[in-house]
This record gives sequence, C-alpha cells and structure tokens, in this order.
Amino acid sequence: MDKQLRIALAGNPNSGKTTLFNKLTGSNQFVGNWPGVTVEKKEGKLIVDREVVLTDLPGIYSLSPYTLEEVVARNYLIEEKPDAILNIVDATNLERNLYLTTQLTELGIPVVIALNMMDLVKKSGDVINVKELSRQLGCPIVEISALKGEGVKEAAQAAIAAAKSGKTLPQHSFSGPVEHALAHIEEVTVHHLPEERQRWYALKLFERDEKVLEQLSIPSNVRAHIEQDIAAAEKELDDDAESIITNERYIYIGNMLKGIYKKKGKGQLSASDKIDRIVTNRILALPIFALVMFLVYALSMGKPIGDGGISIGTFLTDWANDVLGGAWLTDGSRAILEGWNVAPWLVGLISDGILAGVGAVLGFVPQMLVLFLMLCLLEDCGYMARIAFIMDRIFRRFGLSGKSFIPMLVGTGCGIPGVMASRTIENERDRRMTIMTTTFMPCGAKMPIIGLIAGALFGGSTWIATSAYFIGVAAIVISGIMLKKTKMFAGDPAPFVMELPAYHLPAWGNILRGTWERGWSFIKRAGTVIVIASIVIWFLTSFGSVNGKFGMVDDLYEDDTVATEAYIALVADRMDIPEDEVEPMDDSLLARIAQPASVVFKPLGFGDWKPTAATVTGLVAKEEVVANFGIMYAYDDNDGEEELEENGDQIWDRVAEDFDAFSGGHGKLAAFAFMIFNLLCAPCFAAIGAIKREMNSRKWTWFAIAYQCGFAWVIAFIVWQLGRAFAGGMNVVGLVLALVMLALLLWQLFKPYKEAQKLTVK
Amino acid sequence: MMPLILAAAGEEAVIRRVGGSPEMKKHLEDLGFTVGGAVTVLNEVGGNLIVKIKESRVAINKEMASKIMV
Repeated sequence: MDKQLRIALAGNPNSGKTTLFNKLTGSNQFVGNWPGVTVEKKEGKLIVDREVVLTDLPGIYSLSPYTLEEVVARNYLIEEKPDAILNIVDATNLERNLYLTTQLTELGIPVVIALNMMDLVKKSGDVINVKELSRQLGCPIVEISALKGEGVKEAAQAAIAAAKSGKTLPQHSFSGPVEHALAHIEEVTVHHLPEERQRWYALKLFERDEKVLEQLSIPSNVRAHIEQDIAAAEKELDDDAESIITNERYIYIGNMLKGIYKKKGKGQLSASDKIDRIVTNRILALPIFALVMFLVYALSMGKPIGDGGISIGTFLTDWANDVLGGAWLTDGSRAILEGWNVAPWLVGLISDGILAGVGAVLGFVPQMLVLFLMLCLLEDCGYMARIAFIMDRIFRRFGLSGKSFIPMLVGTGCGIPGVMASRTIENERDRRMTIMTTTFMPCGAKMPIIGLIAGALFGGSTWIATSAYFIGVAAIVISGIMLKKTKMFAGDPAPFVMELPAYHLPAWGNILRGTWERGWSFIKRAGTVIVIASIVIWFLTSFGSVNGKFGMVDDLYEDDTVATEAYIALVADRMDIPEDEVEPMDDSLLARIAQPASVVFKPLGFGDWKPTAATVTGLVAKEEVVANFGIMYAYDDNDGEEELEENGDQIWDRVAEDFDAFSGGHGKLAAFAFMIFNLLCAPCFAAIGAIKREMNSRKWTWFAIAYQCGFAWVIAFIVWQLGRAFAGGMNVVGLVLALVMLALLLWQLFKPYKEAQKLTVK
Repeated sequence: MMPLILAAAGEEAVIRRVGGSPEMKKHLEDLGFTVGGAVTVLNEVGGNLIVKIKESRVAINKEMASKIMV
C-alpha cells in the first residue's frame, strides 16, 4: 500500500481557511469571523481522496516564533514534514498573504496556492494575472471560492499531484549583503541538513531565531562566527536582521505585484470602512455598543415574552424549569418509578438526586442557546472584533484587555461559557486574569440566592439585586488592579493589535452550527459533572448515623428504638436547638460535616451549619443553595402547600428568624455577608471544570479557586465586622482585623505600578 | 517624523520607523507595518486607532501606534 499522503492547510487568519477545510473534508467546524479561532490544529480526510489526510493549521501571518499559533503551525511544518502545503491566499489582500507564501516556499515542501475570494476581486474591477503570479512564485495556483465551494476540488487535486511529484523552490532572493551572509551560514552550519531545508534554516539563523538556535545546538565558536556575518549585514543595511528580512520580503512582493495586479478603484472606501465610520465613531461607538448589548441581554436573559419583555430565552427557560424540569422529570419519573415498585431510596436517588439536579441545569439551556446564537451572530457579521477594540480603552485601566469584555458579558448568563469565551485572548496573562475574574459576575444561577436574601431579610428591596451586580463588577475591577501589581501578572497588558475582519451578511448555517457546538458542550459538560455531584449531595443529605446505626436518616428516625428520646435530646444539645425541632437531617452526613466547618464562617456572621451546608452545596450548582435552604428550613411540599418558589418565598420568615438568632440580632448584615460570600467565592463544579480546562494547569486552577474564595472571605469579613461595629455590636479584635485587611486592600489598590518606568517609549 | 497617533485621519502616510520591543516590532512588521509602506488612519477612538495597512484593517492601541513613526 502507498504511504498515506499528508497535506497541511496554511494561511492568514480569517482568510477562509476553516471554510475551505470544511468544504474539503466535509466536516463541520465552526468558522469564526474573528482572528484566531483555530488555535489547535485539526485533521480530516479529503473528500476527493479518503486516503489523504488534511491538517488545518492555525491562522498565521508569518513563521516567526512569537505567538502560540505560529509556533504550533511552524513545528508541524518542520517536524512532521507534510507532503504538500495548500496555502490559502486571500486575493483581496494579496500583499500580506503572499508574505506568508514567500516563507512557506522556503520550507522545501511543495506548495500549492488556493487563491480565495477571486470573485470579490473581479467584482471590484481589479485584475490579477494569475498565470504570471504562478510563474513568479514558482508554484501552481488554483482560483477558488471557499464560501461557494468553487474550485475546491481542483485545489485538492492540485495539492495531491504536488504531494506526489511536485517541488517548490523559492524564487525570491534577498539583497547582496543578506545573500552573502546566508551563503556563509549555510556553509558553516547547515550543510549536513537535507538540501531543500538548508535555506530556511540559514534564514532563521540569520534572524537569530531562538528556537532554531536551540534546535540545531550550534557550538558557540560557530555561533560567534556567523554572528559576525549577521552584524556585517546589519551594519551595511542599517537595520536589525529580522526587519531586514521582513522588509525585503515585502519589497519583493510589492515589485512582483506591480506588473500582475491592476487595481481599478484606488483609495475608495469599502463598505466595511463606511460601516466602521459610524460603528466605531468616537461619539457613537459607545451608545451603539450599549444598545447592541442591551438587545443581546434583553433577548436572551431579560424579562420573558408575555411579561412585558422581549426575551425568548427567559420564556423558554421558565417553561423548561417549571414544566419540563419540575413536572415531567422530577414528578413524572417519581410516579413511574413508584409504579414499578422501585425501592424508595432508589426513587429518591433518581428523581430527587439525579433528575432534579440535571433538570436544574438543563433549564438554562434555552437561555444559553439564545445567548450563543446572538454572540455567534455578532461574531459572524464582524462586530465582535470591534467590541474588543471599543472596550479596550476602558478595560486597560484595570489591567485587562478589550477582549475580556465578552467573557464577562457571557458570565452574567452562565460562568461556564463565560470562562470558555476567554479562549480568544491570545496573551496568556490577560487570559488567566480574565478566567479568574469572570465568575465574579452574578450568573443566572446566583439570582435565586439574591432573591432569597432580598426577600427574606430586606423586604424584597430591588437594591439588593442591583448591589449584587455592582459587587460583581467592583470585584473584577479591584481584582484586576490588585493582581496586576503582583509579580505573576506584572507587566503591561499585551499591546492590542487585531485585524478587523470585513463586515458581511450573516451566514446562517455557520451561525447555527456555532450555536449548537457551544450549546452542546455546555449540556454535555454540565450534565456529567452535575450528575455525579447530585448523587453525592443526595447521599450526604439522606444518609447518616443515628444513635450508632448507619442508614437513611429518615428511616432510622421512624424507628423509636434507634431515635430514642434520650438520643434526640443529645442531638438537640449538639445542634443547639429545642428538642421538638430536631429533624432527621440533623443527623445527616451533611450536617455532621457542615457543623464543624461552620467555624470558618463564624467571623463572617453566618457560622451556622445551615448556611454553611448551603454554601458548600452551592459548589455543585448555585441553584442548590436555595433548594438546600428549602430542605433545611423544614419546608415540606407534602403538606399540600405549593412547590417551593425559586426564591424560597415560603421559608422567608424562618430564614430571617434564624439569621437573626445566630448573628446576635444582626440578621440583615449576616445575610448580606452570606450573599457576598456566595456571589464571589469559587463557582460551581461545572465552572471550576471549565476553569481547569482553560487554564490547562492544575496549579493555576487551584490558585484561581483559592483567590476567589480568599477574596470572597475577606470582603464578607470586612462588611460584617465594620457593619456590626456601626450597628453597635462591635467586636474589637474583629474590627481591628477588618481595618487592617481594608488597609492592605487599599494599599495594594493604590500603590504605583512597579513597571511604570518600562512603559515609557525609548 | 511623527507618531502615527498624530497623523490626520483619512490621509495616506508612509511609515518611517517601527519601534518597540523585538516581539512587538516583528509582529507589527508581519502584519505589514514595514518601513516605506503606506498606512492610512481610518478612525480614532480615545487614542486607539483603526488603520488601513496593505489591504486590511487593523485595530491597534495607543501604545503601539505611538511606536510607529510616519
């Protein structure tokens, strides 16, 4: 059998590469109108010949080693040595695209050019002499339209033919001094390498490419020798080696195109430029942006249709929660299982544990899908890249880049896609910072907590909900500024450079594909984590040991010989409650664990086992916090009362009473501290999973979680201690500690940036 | 010579020098900001620029724009 052919697909970001890849392989990758969507390489088999493997490399501008994408693409081309490179070239931006082509032809791998978007060039009246271009570059060119699928088959066949027999030799040469140095370098360092690769290595050595110097492990005396050649060329051409090469490439391309590319409408503003005149206008940019964001939010998360709003997402989510999740999944499954005479504990596990937990998450799917659809639409038409540009100025002030805005916006719906959205931030420091702070935004699942606290203790004041958003935003801003001044995050945010794609009408197929891809990964991930976590929580609340016997606490309490009066008195004493309030749950594993753990929250004003247990179960899903309150505050939906409302309506009195009791009469303050802690501490497991995936490092994941919990604790501590002092319940030690923490926080906030000197232009 | 941030919007200018750290410089040059090349400022928002370079539109912030001399 023949050796399997491998072809690499390379090209500039946003040149239609992924679209071509989909057309060539029949796969369904989401195409982003946003540079840098492909960071990893993807593989597929060609439709025209299933024996040929096509690798989609990340979009790159050059083969230098400075960005993640370039390193990935370069390593693949050098180390895996594909049989041919299919270089997609955007004909509407020939000069810059051919800059990469000149580098690809130096690799000693046959190159075939797929000249994309020729239809647009022709439409504008420009003329490109493709035949001559092919001759000058020394490689075959196939005109294609990736979007329409024209010429795609021919391009694939040309690439296969080249892979089998072709050879591409670089046609361009550099100026005298450079060629002189290159000849020397080739002679002393790379003559042992395959002939077709020598030139590329010599060029990289000339550019002092660190990675190549490392790879070839050149002895220091040889290195010193070639350094002389490089220095001589640099002196003669009065520039550094890298710039010399870059400039000469562009000059070569410019000269070549003079006879080949005839432009008709020179200096005309394109449609995109005209749109940008308005959309990124100094005065209108922010209002337009605010309006767009308002619409996105109103449609996906706002007031539902039929309730004075326009949100399709909320409408569907309400339906999913009430009908699908509540009635069908939980109650329906219970009825069916009981009908089958399934053991009660198993019914409990499946209906109340797994299905209720999964249902709670699935309920958010419609809102997520609408949100993703809107975001994909904004991305596809080209506006998303402009948002990053507009917001950059504001976000830079607290150490983040404009690209951090989208993750945070998405985070108000759900932290998981929010964290995932941080992927488009190239700079590692900025990305990590964004991942760490995104979940400070109050997500949809935190809203019930806010509702409960506002309702139970603050008479339903809307200020509490508003304050929650302010706390979230303030936490991001404060964290951004503080972290920026630590060693780990020190330095300027990465300079903002981003190619702005041309605006185009939405391609619905692509948008729907992107929406589904993101939605499905949300369902899948949330689903798996939630199933496991729900089982664990169900087990912890249902089982425990009563008077030395282990089992389901409800059953054990029904047995008078186990739950004797003397024993109940003991429990009442342990939990510090009257005997008639002792419930089976007080003996559950959860209560046993939460009781000692509540010490941690004593300094925050809510050191009682119930809020502690609720906070801990909040890690599973933040909705669980209120659900848990419902269970713990003895709300029994078998009493003929209605089902517990989302915000825990029916237990407000009991919650308020209890908070007042254990906080020594400062119930409101304790509840507010409880809310702050729950808003800011580590997100749910599913979001932590997303953090881990995006950080791609155990150390950084733990750091993020530790920081979030620590920050939440400190803020709640300060609020509780200071608040209590004002309310006349001062605890001297607590107050002093709170003031010290506040001072440290302010000091970190206002101390000057260490790097201040480095920012100045030399 | 003046930094690109001072160039008048809508007028084509010629790049004289590209500064900044080696990485930044190389990245700018890869994008087409090379000495002798033409650049047009299309839009300015608070010092951040949208410029036309070669045939594409690139957004760059103030810090970077101040290192490109025209």
